[in-house]
Amino acid sequence: MSADTIIKVKNLQKYFGKNGNIQTKALDDVNIEINRGDVVVVVGPSGSGKSTFLRCLNLLEMPTGGTITFEGTDITDPKNNINKQRMKMGMVFQQFNLFPHMTILKNLTIGPTKLLKKSKAEAEKYAMELLERVGLADRAGSYPNQLSGGQKQRIAIVRALCMQPDVMLFDEPTSALDPEMVGEVLDVMKALARQNMTMICVTHEMGFAREVGNRVIFMENGKILEENTPAEFFENPKSPRLKEFLNKIL
Amino acid sequence: MFQTLQDKLYLNFIKDDRYMYLVNGFITTIKIALLAILVGLIFGFIIAIIRSAYDMNKDQQRNTISAKLLSLANAICQLYLTILRGTPVVLQLLIIYFVIFADINVNKTFAAICAFGFNSAAYVAEIVRGGIMSIDRGQLEAGRSIGFSYAKTMLYIILPQAVKNVLPALGNEFIVLIKETSVAGYIAIEDLTKGGDIIRSRTYDAFFPLIAAGLIYLAVVLILSKGITIFERRLRASER
Ligand SMILES: Nc1ncnc2c1ncn2[C@@H]1O[C@H](COP(=O)(O)OP(=O)(O)OP(=O)(O)O)[C@@H](O)[C@H]1O
Ligand SMILES: [Mg+2]
Repeated sequence: MSADTIIKVKNLQKYFGKNGNIQTKALDDVNIEINRGDVVVVVGPSGSGKSTFLRCLNLLEMPTGGTITFEGTDITDPKNNINKQRMKMGMVFQQFNLFPHMTILKNLTIGPTKLLKKSKAEAEKYAMELLERVGLADRAGSYPNQLSGGQKQRIAIVRALCMQPDVMLFDEPTSALDPEMVGEVLDVMKALARQNMTMICVTHEMGFAREVGNRVIFMENGKILEENTPAEFFENPKSPRLKEFLNKIL
Repeated sequence: MFQTLQDKLYLNFIKDDRYMYLVNGFITTIKIALLAILVGLIFGFIIAIIRSAYDMNKDQQRNTISAKLLSLANAICQLYLTILRGTPVVLQLLIIYFVIFADINVNKTFAAICAFGFNSAAYVAEIVRGGIMSIDRGQLEAGRSIGFSYAKTMLYIILPQAVKNVLPALGNEFIVLIKETSVAGYIAIEDLTKGGDIIRSRTYDAFFPLIAAGLIYLAVVLILSKGITIFERRLRASER
């Protein structure tokens, strides 16, 4: 494990089904090392295990087998308290999942004040700075249901960033958006990549993968079938399945 | 005719200060109902939180001690709900007073508060659990992904939304409870119903005292229902 490895996934397996009664093999022996500053884009057909992979990284799904090491800690160890590492792993969901009963500012500061023990003023100051950067400072006092989808997703990204994470996980952050709002969210993600944030993004936005990704991963049937730099990935796909997939979507 | 009406009202309510049976009965009824709903809310929330924690975590559970404890607690809660919701409240009242508290000299009102409170807890539990389970799973995942424990996610994120959604249903449960306390007379508590009945036994006139007691219940229920309706409308307006 090199010095700048942030996440190391070994023989990761995830089965869905009741008590050993295997119904779906969602992840089948996934291995990958992710370095600080990597922007990893995960693509693949529906049901290939992309979301499951991402959700295993912060244990929203409990792996059936294998190990995940985050910043040197084996988070799959039953004795490990995952809440500590989750604070360092921001997650952005397809459905935003903002807290509807809190103002935007409260959405952004509840984590830092309750978990990072920041003072209210300090947390709000930082939140306002980030809001400023995504152009939503004027919405601090609004409630989530008063915002558009694109605005909600930008807030969701800021909410994760307010915890000052070391890595950001994105699960199809633009898939629930009207087409005209996709750009504003991708812009925020691009800016983040430029600031060297480590990012793992499941997305269908191939333009984003080419432009800011430094690694692209193709998943199928719960396996990582191919991995390459964006240029090679799109120009020179090796496996026939990836060629077929790219033909369909490009 | 008018004369007899006045006579009857005098006989049933004024003579010997008989209206005091209704006044004191009303106070007793409200006292029992208020304290019982408090007991019901406390135990109901505890049961709902245990049951929903079990439901939400069973697919993620590892074979840890805490998982086993939760599973045991859930089974106990389920047994509690089955028994309390499967038997008549009058019987529960009699059992609490004459069996469970048989050897301890407790105040009858205290026994009634326990009986109606524990009974109500079973219904409150299912209302609150329904409210918790109706909150989108994404809320739990968002809370957990920030780093909140399950308990803190519940406290800060799920419960505030769930409680808001079930407040009208809890209000209705309180209304049901007020009416249910009318069986408190079974252990010789002089509640509103019993108060009316005592007047009846003194005056040998059933109509006026019983109808009067009924009107008092009705007034309380109508006022509370109206309050709940207004509150619901406010809630909906604030949601947009
Ligand atoms: N909670 C679950 N219970 C049972 N099976 C599940 C569950 N979540 C996912 N699966 C199954 O696991 C497999 C992988 O699903 P996953 O959601 O990871 O795919 P995906 O690549 O994210 O697909 P999509 O592009 O449609 O989001 C699928 O066969 C899916 O049906
Ligand atoms: Mg998915």
